[in-house]
Amino acid sequence: MEPIEIGIAVSAFLLVIVVLGMRVAFAAGIAGLVGLFWIFWAKFGYEPDRFGRAMTIAVKTAGQVPHSKVASQSLSLIPTFILIGYLAYYAGLTKALFEAAKRWVGWLPGGLAVSTVFATAGFAAVSGASVATSAVFARIAIPEMLKLNYDKRFAAGVVAAGGTLASLIPPSAILVIYAIIVEQDVGKLLLAGFIPGAFSALVYGGLIVSMALVWPKFGPPVRGFTWRQRLAALPPAFPIFFVVFIIVFFIYNPFGGDPWGTPTEGGALGAAVVFVMALINGLKWGQLKEALIETAKLTAMIFTIIWGVLIYVRFLGFADLPRAFSDWISGLDQAPMLTLVMILLAYAVLGMFMDAIGMLLLTLPVVYPAVMALNGGELVSAADSTFGMSGPMCAIWFGILVVKMAEFCLITPPIGLNCFVVAGVRPEVSVQDVFRGVAPFFVADALTIAGLVAFPQIVLWLPSLA
Amino acid sequence: MAGHSSVLTDGGRLSQIDRGLYRVERFMALLSGIAVFSLMVLAVVSVGGRNLFNAPLPGYVDWIQQLMPLIAFMGVSFTQRDGGHIRMDILVGRLKGRALWGAEFITTAFMLVLIVLLIWGSWAHFERSFDFTRPLWSRDSSIDIALPLWPAKLLAPVAFSVLALRLVLQLWGYARAFAQNLAEPVAVPLVRSAAELAAEEAELVSGGKE
Amino acid sequence: EEWNVSLWGKARAFTSHVEKLAEVLDETTDGEFTLNISYGGLSKNTENLDGISIGAFEMAQFCAGYHRDKNPSITVLELPFLGVNTLEEEIAVSMAVYNHPAVQDDLGRWNAKLLMPSPLPQYNLVGTGEPRTTLEDFDGMRVRATGGIGEAFRTVGAVPTSVTSSEAYAALDSGTVDTVAFAPHAHLSFRTIDMADWWTTNLNPGTVNCPVVVNTDAYEMLSDEHREALDAAIPVVMDHYLEAYGKIYEQWDQVLEERGVEKVTFSEEDLAAFRAKAADPIREKWIADMSAQGLPAQELYDVMMDALAKAQM
Ligand code: NA
Ligand code: NA
Repeated sequence: MEPIEIGIAVSAFLLVIVVLGMRVAFAAGIAGLVGLFWIFWAKFGYEPDRFGRAMTIAVKTAGQVPHSKVASQSLSLIPTFILIGYLAYYAGLTKALFEAAKRWVGWLPGGLAVSTVFATAGFAAVSGASVATSAVFARIAIPEMLKLNYDKRFAAGVVAAGGTLASLIPPSAILVIYAIIVEQDVGKLLLAGFIPGAFSALVYGGLIVSMALVWPKFGPPVRGFTWRQRLAALPPAFPIFFVVFIIVFFIYNPFGGDPWGTPTEGGALGAAVVFVMALINGLKWGQLKEALIETAKLTAMIFTIIWGVLIYVRFLGFADLPRAFSDWISGLDQAPMLTLVMILLAYAVLGMFMDAIGMLLLTLPVVYPAVMALNGGELVSAADSTFGMSGPMCAIWFGILVVKMAEFCLITPPIGLNCFVVAGVRPEVSVQDVFRGVAPFFVADALTIAGLVAFPQIVLWLPSLA
Repeated sequence: MAGHSSVLTDGGRLSQIDRGLYRVERFMALLSGIAVFSLMVLAVVSVGGRNLFNAPLPGYVDWIQQLMPLIAFMGVSFTQRDGGHIRMDILVGRLKGRALWGAEFITTAFMLVLIVLLIWGSWAHFERSFDFTRPLWSRDSSIDIALPLWPAKLLAPVAFSVLALRLVLQLWGYARAFAQNLAEPVAVPLVRSAAELAAEEAELVSGGKE
Repeated sequence: EEWNVSLWGKARAFTSHVEKLAEVLDETTDGEFTLNISYGGLSKNTENLDGISIGAFEMAQFCAGYHRDKNPSITVLELPFLGVNTLEEEIAVSMAVYNHPAVQDDLGRWNAKLLMPSPLPQYNLVGTGEPRTTLEDFDGMRVRATGGIGEAFRTVGAVPTSVTSSEAYAALDSGTVDTVAFAPHAHLSFRTIDMADWWTTNLNPGTVNCPVVVNTDAYEMLSDEHREALDAAIPVVMDHYLEAYGKIYEQWDQVLEERGVEKVTFSEEDLAAFRAKAADPIREKWIADMSAQGLPAQELYDVMMDALAKAQM
């Protein structure tokens, strides 16, 4: 068999064992190892006496991946941002945000769900990890919604979807990874995430309000807060603005002049600021220990998927499947905008089965140059370009679109990580419940993405000021 | 069931070993958390040193790369003990009794095979970076300040070995459950009733300041 | 026969000799011996030697400075201020070192055989703000430079800072560093030139050494015909490589002009003072350290300098 055929066969095998219930990280590792062995043994012409040699090469090649792939500076942003999220939770910031959102927008139809969306958007500004955001809000928002008789599946869906905002609104680990892969300005990319993130939150809110208007049995609004109570809810949430200020200024200085450092430092300093706030709010050693262990647990889960998927990706490299994919995309004879939309759809499909980071790592080296070429090259001016934007602006626009797609795949079955995490935190909700509850948000995300494709200015206005 | 499940205990030998190993795993997870915390400290030192004393931390990136394996691997077995590694449970979730324990036994056995092979592979990776006869026993070093890489590379087979022990223990638990047709076996992650878990969850959240 | 080749990044002048090698072999062996080149799909760049050692692929490129302890012997080529001026001279000194038995033993630990160099132009600084035109101006300057070149800058009071090459642009932008040391093509590909106010033309502190190696077993298992085809192709592909870099140099001058980057040229006295401070102590320390590891360090250094003298005649 040709390597590419082996690549397709092993990918099908991976799909089967994941559906059969093998834990995803290990399923990917097994598929990768089996695939590597197959490739090497095929190269030896399946000679029986070289079976052991092929096995040794496959095992040693796979054995490199875990250390090799995790020992990376850019990936260090992931545990840092998870830690910020947990510390913010122990510092009381999540509850404060939720309370403030409840008092200000709870009166809307479906008010608690709308509040949840806006509180997750606010929390997104101190959290770089979507999964962590969903995890903390599953703890505080779902019980309150259940008390008011919201459908448990929808309540879980709101939290799973709301969590995805954390990767568009800075700080965002995944935007940083995109910037590093495509060698673009991290500051401008992060800045570009603000408005699309807020736009996404508004679309989510609009969707919830419409649903509440259509179905009268939807959760009731929370009324009766006085203006005094509303104002009183703001100061406890205020520290979050301070954190936003610190992190943003460290990554990008909106008023001109030098920013204060690199993204890696900015993220870690953000964590330090939240830590000091948690201390001021009376963080105990026991709680810090709990936050550290919870961070370790979520980090271990995410990194195990990362290295597991990367063993599989390493095998794909030997099978040369990425190149076949790229040839196919660039050989299409059709309108560039249609190709772009097809690439985004391909991400939606791929994202259903792959970890977001693994997916970006695997595809961007191939897809990004193709998109740049579609637009007319890296150095093209806005006037000469296909999509009406300069090369660097196209890189930012495509980055936001891809990250939004990667976020989308956090809530799509069968491997929507956010849904698993919400189900993991809430015992009364199963994964299937969350997937059912989150389904309406697919529509909202489709609308958001269509909006960002049709009106690139939503993405590009802020970075173009810089 | 996908994420957080709980593990039953009793006075038997299997459960005793389970809890003993759990203490080790929890300690390793705490080490991983402390390593994350030290990323934060490193950044403060690096930024402070650069801006206040014009003395950036030498090898800031190299140190981060040394810390990352500690962060990424040390919690792997802790997470497996509670069934925290994600999976699709649409099919497995429908099984009960012997069918469930049999299925769990088979997937866990495959995981064990993978992990044993990865212990071999990651040990070989460590071995290539290690040489007793060289300064600092190092045959592979970091790019900027030439830190030896073998200690970080050694963490993978060490963490995987603990995970292998955990998997063996879970295999034992599933085999016992299968043989004796148990409803609620000890030492393996279980699906429990929503009410039971809700009570536990409430307790956990009340521990954190909201 | 098909060999897998592990490179990284994307096809560029730096990989043009391997790309050409694939083409030439395909022609001379009528498609019987082919190279399947992968950019990053088979291994991480710092682990290409590991992959060669395992036998996962048959050919790979790496840079000595990525991992000094993996290849102590060839780090001699990364010592600062060797006085190498052209790519041709860089090829001559590299090959002289590669052919030394101690070097072959060193790489032999990885089951690797050195095939050819990927000579790089000398590093120079790109900087922001007021141009630094004298040695005194380097005092307290934060510079992105690694390995021996970083050490060299330290001797004149600069502060070497760890930033990966992909973060260099952001670091320059944010003021984390004032200057970045790269070869011209890297200033282009990592876009540090876009931030530049000035560029040093003649600091030439040194460069990194990035050989292409093959798996020894695979090389020996080649049929005589294929091995001869491979060996015969090397001079051809090196010529092609030099041509590719020639084009970059043309582009470089044009880029400097377009962006209004000021060219800073150091006086001979300053350069001599810099060399005196940096070159001798770092070289002596290198020779002492490597001799302690049992390498014929002095001999390696002499072989290299002899080759340079010959190339400059
Ligand atoms: Na965020
Ligand atoms: Na659950």
